[in-house]
Amino acid sequence: MPSSDPLPPKESAIFRKILKCYEMKQYKNGLKLAKQILTNPKYTEHGETLAMKGLTLNCLGRKDEAYDHVRRGLRNDLKSHVCWHVYGLLQRSDKKYDEAIKCYRNALKCEKDNIQILRDLSLLQIQMRDLEGYRETRHQLFKLRPSQHASWIGFAMSYHLLGDFETANSILETFRQSQSLNETYDYKHSELLLYQNQILQESGNIDKALKHLEDFSAQIVDKLAVKETMGELCLKLGKFSTALPIWEGLIKRNPENTLYYQKFIEAKQTKDSDEIVNIYKKFQSEYPYSICPKRLPLNVANGDRFSEIVDDYLRRGLRKGVPPLFVNVRSLYQHDDKVKVISELIHGYHNSLKSSGHFSNADKEAALPQEPASALLWTLYFMAQHYDHLRDTTKALEYINAAIEHTPTLIELFVTKGRIYKHAGDLVEAFKWLDEAQSLDTADRYINSKCAKYMLRANMVKEAEEICAKFTREDVSAMENLNEMQCMWFQTECALAYQRLERWGDALKKCHEVDRHFSEIIEDQFDFHTYCMRKMTLRAYVGLLRLEDVLRQHPFYFKAARCAIEVYVRLYDKPLKTEQQVEEFDTENLPPSELKKLRNKQRKAKKKAELETAQAVQAQVKKEQHNKSRQLQNQDGDPEAPQLDELVPEKLARPDDPLEKAIDFLRPLQVLAKECIKTHLLAFEIYYRKNKLLLMLQSIKRAKSLDPIDPNLHTCIVKFYKALKVNGEINEHVRTVIDKETKLLFDGRDADAMNQDVLKKFPNSFHHVLQVARCMYELDATKRNTAVQLVMSFDFKRLTLEDATLAYNYFTTGVFGVCESSANEYKVKCQQRFPHALLFKDQQSCENHMENVKVEWDNDDQQ
Amino acid sequence: MEEENIEGINGNDDEVQDKKSKKAAKHDGGVADLERVTDYAEEKEISSADITNAINIFGDKRNKEAAEKLAKERELQKIHVKKEDIELIVNEILISRQQAEKVLREHRDVVSALEALIN
Repeated sequence: MPSSDPLPPKESAIFRKILKCYEMKQYKNGLKLAKQILTNPKYTEHGETLAMKGLTLNCLGRKDEAYDHVRRGLRNDLKSHVCWHVYGLLQRSDKKYDEAIKCYRNALKCEKDNIQILRDLSLLQIQMRDLEGYRETRHQLFKLRPSQHASWIGFAMSYHLLGDFETANSILETFRQSQSLNETYDYKHSELLLYQNQILQESGNIDKALKHLEDFSAQIVDKLAVKETMGELCLKLGKFSTALPIWEGLIKRNPENTLYYQKFIEAKQTKDSDEIVNIYKKFQSEYPYSICPKRLPLNVANGDRFSEIVDDYLRRGLRKGVPPLFVNVRSLYQHDDKVKVISELIHGYHNSLKSSGHFSNADKEAALPQEPASALLWTLYFMAQHYDHLRDTTKALEYINAAIEHTPTLIELFVTKGRIYKHAGDLVEAFKWLDEAQSLDTADRYINSKCAKYMLRANMVKEAEEICAKFTREDVSAMENLNEMQCMWFQTECALAYQRLERWGDALKKCHEVDRHFSEIIEDQFDFHTYCMRKMTLRAYVGLLRLEDVLRQHPFYFKAARCAIEVYVRLYDKPLKTEQQVEEFDTENLPPSELKKLRNKQRKAKKKAELETAQAVQAQVKKEQHNKSRQLQNQDGDPEAPQLDELVPEKLARPDDPLEKAIDFLRPLQVLAKECIKTHLLAFEIYYRKNKLLLMLQSIKRAKSLDPIDPNLHTCIVKFYKALKVNGEINEHVRTVIDKETKLLFDGRDADAMNQDVLKKFPNSFHHVLQVARCMYELDATKRNTAVQLVMSFDFKRLTLEDATLAYNYFTTGVFGVCESSANEYKVKCQQRFPHALLFKDQQSCENHMENVKVEWDNDDQQ
Repeated sequence: MEEENIEGINGNDDEVQDKKSKKAAKHDGGVADLERVTDYAEEKEISSADITNAINIFGDKRNKEAAEKLAKERELQKIHVKKEDIELIVNEILISRQQAEKVLREHRDVVSALEALIN
């Protein structure tokens, strides 16, 4: 170990022990040993020892001291690879990966063939997805240590990840052949073979993959994987007769896997629905207790055949009382003819059950035994869900009330009643029924969560938190605990509730929290880089890497990001006043006496606030101390977790550059959710405000390739047209690009003409009409009446609640300028169409209603 | 910190204690498992076989790849790009200078670079 400051043999031996202790996680021993060297007056400033002491301290959670020691060590011995390496490790533990890579590179400059440093570097490179760099480092390791298994595996993997399947395979093949035959074949060997097979499959050489699998199947212990892969490969190669028994065998292993049935039918090479139904019938008789062969034929059967089997399926479910029966068949509701059949059947059951207790008259005449009494209940429950799905609120309520009358203790009924109200737009009534359901079984976490969600939909954040608190840890607030547990559905719904309440800062805080969860999940893969290689779970490892690459594709992220972007855009359009401005707001127009009072008040308030902040600071300090001591006490808390900035709603709501913040949320969507048109529509809104013409065009083009007739896209195009007109001087190169692209996009029409074209093409689509009206006003404010009339005259019967809500919000948020009377007129019309929806209810009558309730309460008290 | 330089330490008192506490932790289920993820592990050695040949083959391949990459980069560096064009791309498309420069070199002129970027 060349060092500019070598230790004598005795100290050198102690130093090696420190290294060993660090690796074995014996940190306290390590510190003792370091002390032995550092107390020797000759070596009090020995660089490498100081560095190692720092690193050990870091593992004990004493971060400040750690940085201190490591930096001092490095300063004392800048030529030492140990010091640089240690500094890199320290940075790495702080998640400063770029910095850490620089340190490792410096360390390698001092000692270019150091295995440990190369290994650590490779970990960071794979974490940062510097695949080229990873391959280079892996090759170095391979050259230096060809005798180690891990060198081969890592080297092969680096090629695999770069898409060079052939080289990856040949490395693994050479490695496999070099292993002596008398070694016993174990799980690791088996996984390696399966990994090699995966590479062959991905290379597209299916023949070779099948051959490989057949040759080595005896050495592979994961028999299920062998069978599934074999079946899949045979299908791909068109070897149907070989595939058939494989899939049949798999169905026998697990008759509840829908994929196996699909593949079996694929191997049968039939598209005829009758034949497919017959195949399912055969499996039904073979596996009478499994659900799949009963449910799956409903997807393919048609006409009388469908009526026959759905009749069986429903009767069985209603007789046994299967709660999710409706959910099981809901996917069939996209076919109108199937809905009709189901509707007729359940009405038939309902009538017969009421009159005779049978599902049909035929049953009665055949003198079959009566159905259980609960069959009527489950039928009513099904009917309520059926009509709710069809958005017939009146009938849905009628049946759910009948069901509740029949059995007032069934929790599912109350949940459904709440859901009916939710769909009808009465979110307050909806949460009340969920609360009722929740109170019937407070130990049921599912109902508890549902209730919280319904409360959030009704903008009752505090109540929702209280409900959740029944299940969260006791010593911290529910909100904190749910954040710690990465409970993202709750946080996203919170964000949306705050957004509706116009509490922008709180909404953003929740969105950022969700975003941080995703960052954390990406961080969490770090440990697996070493672990998976060692355990040889390479298929799972590659799967993990690929998942992490697209992690923010997840709908949870999309929802939160969308909310954040919308809020930031809103804050750009109408920035909040600074806290000071808010205070000074009214002072100008006040008479002196009032002003004096106000000043007094303010002074008091200020004093109070100061006191409070002082207390808060104290509390914070206490909390930190507490955390620190807790961390020191139990090492299971992650001492390596870096401290993140605290999210303060007031600050978040007053960003310096809201559009930049919005872009931060947008970027992952543009890469990972590019097949979702909403991404590009959001992008357009941001770039429109930044006045970036080419990026607006980019968003339009991307959206257009997904759905050229999307109504919102039309609005973007019109806005873009307008932006082009407004922009005076445009760079000539930019102009060239725009001219070329808009030739196709505008097709020689001006904005008005494009607007009229859309109206002509889609006069029956509400969303198109709405956007046309919006553009009409946008282009020419004098045309407001025509625009409003266009929206107003659209047949209300054909509107969904979501449509009407959107349009009404347009009226109230000034999309058509200030037009209170139109808004009111629209509201009245919506009220007739959606009598339950709270949004369209008269504020006055709402308040009166609340008032009445209160008076009744008071009267009760008096009595 | 190469492994072979490290001598094993004969168990002293602390180590024995460590083992004891480890045993206790075992019943901690998940926590203990997670702890093991970051454990230190000895590398398995390949039984001596003729692998030098393979090493050379892959080494040659690697060198060739590196040479090709270098040649390609050199080729790209030869292309003359205007500073103002880079500025324009950075400003219009909101990407970093390096990215802008790379795209510009690959497409050679600013209009086709911009077109590529908005597609």
